[in-house]
Amino acid sequence: MRATFKLAAAISSARCYRAGKGRVSPLRMDFDWTPDEQAFRERLRHFLDTTLPGDWERFSQHGPASPDLTRFAQTFCGTLAKEDLLIPHWPVEIGGQGQDPWHQTILAEEMWIAGEPRGGQYMNVNWIGPTLIRYGTPEQQARYLPPIAAGKALWCQGFSEPGSGSDLASLRTRAEADGGDYVVNGQKIWTSYAGLADTCFLLCRTSEDRKRGITILLVPMDTPGITVRQIPSIIGEGDIHEVFFDDMRVPASARLGEEGQAWEIIAYSLRNERLGIPRYALARSALDRAVSILQERGDFVREAVRIEAAGAAALCEAARLASYAIVTRRAEGETIGQESSSARYATVMCERRVCEFIVEHLPEALADAHPYLKMHHQRGIVAGIAAGAAEIQLNIIASDVLGLPREAR
Amino acid sequence: MQVALNEDQRAIRDALDALARPFEEAPVHEAPLVAASPDFARALAESGFLDVACDPDLGTATAGVVVERLARLPFAVEAATRAFFAPLLGDVSGPVCLVEGTRTPRLVRFLEPGACVIVVEAQGVSYFTAGEHQLRRESESLFAYPMASLLDVSEGRAVLAITPGEARTRARAALAAEVAGLMAAALASVCAHLSERTQFGRKLATFQALRHRLAEAQVRTNGVYWMAMKAAATLDPADAALAAWHAQESATATVYDFHQFLGAMGMTLEHPLHFWTYRLKALIGELGGRGASAAAAADAMWG
Repeated sequence: MRATFKLAAAISSARCYRAGKGRVSPLRMDFDWTPDEQAFRERLRHFLDTTLPGDWERFSQHGPASPDLTRFAQTFCGTLAKEDLLIPHWPVEIGGQGQDPWHQTILAEEMWIAGEPRGGQYMNVNWIGPTLIRYGTPEQQARYLPPIAAGKALWCQGFSEPGSGSDLASLRTRAEADGGDYVVNGQKIWTSYAGLADTCFLLCRTSEDRKRGITILLVPMDTPGITVRQIPSIIGEGDIHEVFFDDMRVPASARLGEEGQAWEIIAYSLRNERLGIPRYALARSALDRAVSILQERGDFVREAVRIEAAGAAALCEAARLASYAIVTRRAEGETIGQESSSARYATVMCERRVCEFIVEHLPEALADAHPYLKMHHQRGIVAGIAAGAAEIQLNIIASDVLGLPREAR
Repeated sequence: MQVALNEDQRAIRDALDALARPFEEAPVHEAPLVAASPDFARALAESGFLDVACDPDLGTATAGVVVERLARLPFAVEAATRAFFAPLLGDVSGPVCLVEGTRTPRLVRFLEPGACVIVVEAQGVSYFTAGEHQLRRESESLFAYPMASLLDVSEGRAVLAITPGEARTRARAALAAEVAGLMAAALASVCAHLSERTQFGRKLATFQALRHRLAEAQVRTNGVYWMAMKAAATLDPADAALAAWHAQESATATVYDFHQFLGAMGMTLEHPLHFWTYRLKALIGELGGRGASAAAAADAMWG
């Protein structure tokens, strides 16, 4: 070892600092799972292997919001709950196991790779429940958390409107105070799970202040004055809807937080769910499946095909590591800022590349030859649209990560 | 799983920051296409940072951190190959170069008399010290590295105790770490320029057409960084090949934009951008280029 005094002093100083902090930090960056994390992943895989029906891959391609899958998810999530696998990352006092963000990540990866057998309930456990824990009244928590924790609830999010997609703060669905109630009129659109959801996390306008004039109402979907229409889509049966509110009346006790607090609450919710779905995991799994099929029929020998597959795998790995860098910071207790948009966009890049690879080299997958690949395609093509458009992520990166002056509006 | 620098690595990066501070700006205008600083090279050699991989507690993972940080400087300094091969080479005073096969003539970065040249062949890995007669300096090269053509590979080379596959893995991890630093520096330089320059009555950085492409460059830079760090830490053939492919692909995707956004300014020697971009261009073709990196990744992952 020829390191001179400067290097030795730098290392020594770092080790003293660590000793002073009383922290145990690995001497190397660690890209391996701990035995506990690996055991958790294996437990999940075993659970999925023994719980999902034999025809699951064909069954799951109908989409996470299809009536069949929604009914299946009720049973499946109930079993998950009994096995303490539904809300392991929730606080112990609320019924969870208080596990760290890595367990949450592993759970999300394994479920998404399997085709998301939790259906729309993944939203409940990822961000709706934690938001209710933070902002809900004791009555709201008593009413809504037990069904979520038992795997029996299905929520939809009433966010987008015909004139308010990426520009969510321009929403116009209005809630007027009337006595002790709110009377809601307006329309939501592209609402996932609305057809079978029992509760809506609804954003309404209560004043003209652009962001501080938005309020959240927790609305039972059987409230008179709600009409739901399904919009046929290419991403699965029963996935997208428009929802109409005509003089729908709910009590003021349905309000989450204060009037005008929605933007702050949503920001908190997104911090809980900032990375979104671990799409890179399913994308990589689909890519490996596609390669396996091509190998079996002798079509994975051309160098051009192999190079394209490797490029897609590299983008999956880039997205995975960008996400893991954020999870590492969350696990350390750091507050995550807008840099998670970079990981989100990396995921969009990998989804696009994997979808393109399969469309080009296994086009029959989009017919009915390979249900798993078709299921991936239907979920993958919305990566740049759902939960905030890719271009919005780029805007955020430009302003808040690169520090560029904001564009003129 | 810990996808973050540990305290040792942060301390080393901080110490490198202090060492590099006087050398953050290179002369422009009448300066040559290659920025070299004998003072910095000397300070770096004395610091011992290029030998971090010799410490088993630090390993090549920390070599990756060092290489990435040094690549951000406008000065071209041979660090990557040296840092990743230091535990295998013993005492080496000059720059370390790496070539695949014995084909000559060929353009080699940092080649000079006294340089250690590692030769990776199918049957093994060897090295020799380059003599004056074995090279021709390429002073007209556009690349921002000191370049020379290797004219002859010595017979009777010393054997390096490493397999050809392991040598390529180290070289790919080193390349990815260097690209990560170069991309980060070039991106920062372009962002600074666009945040200052006004056209059509607005800062250029307020135009969405430019912002989105810069943001995508940030996403790529971040991805290359973590893939390089992982490859450096694991020395896994698939990790290294994937990192090298993503590095070369991302360099290809961004270098054009970086120059485009600076307009004529980026074509002149008034701005330091070329110190990073014309090193990136050299690395795009290194180790067989993107095709070879992807093919190696496919072999490692799927046989």
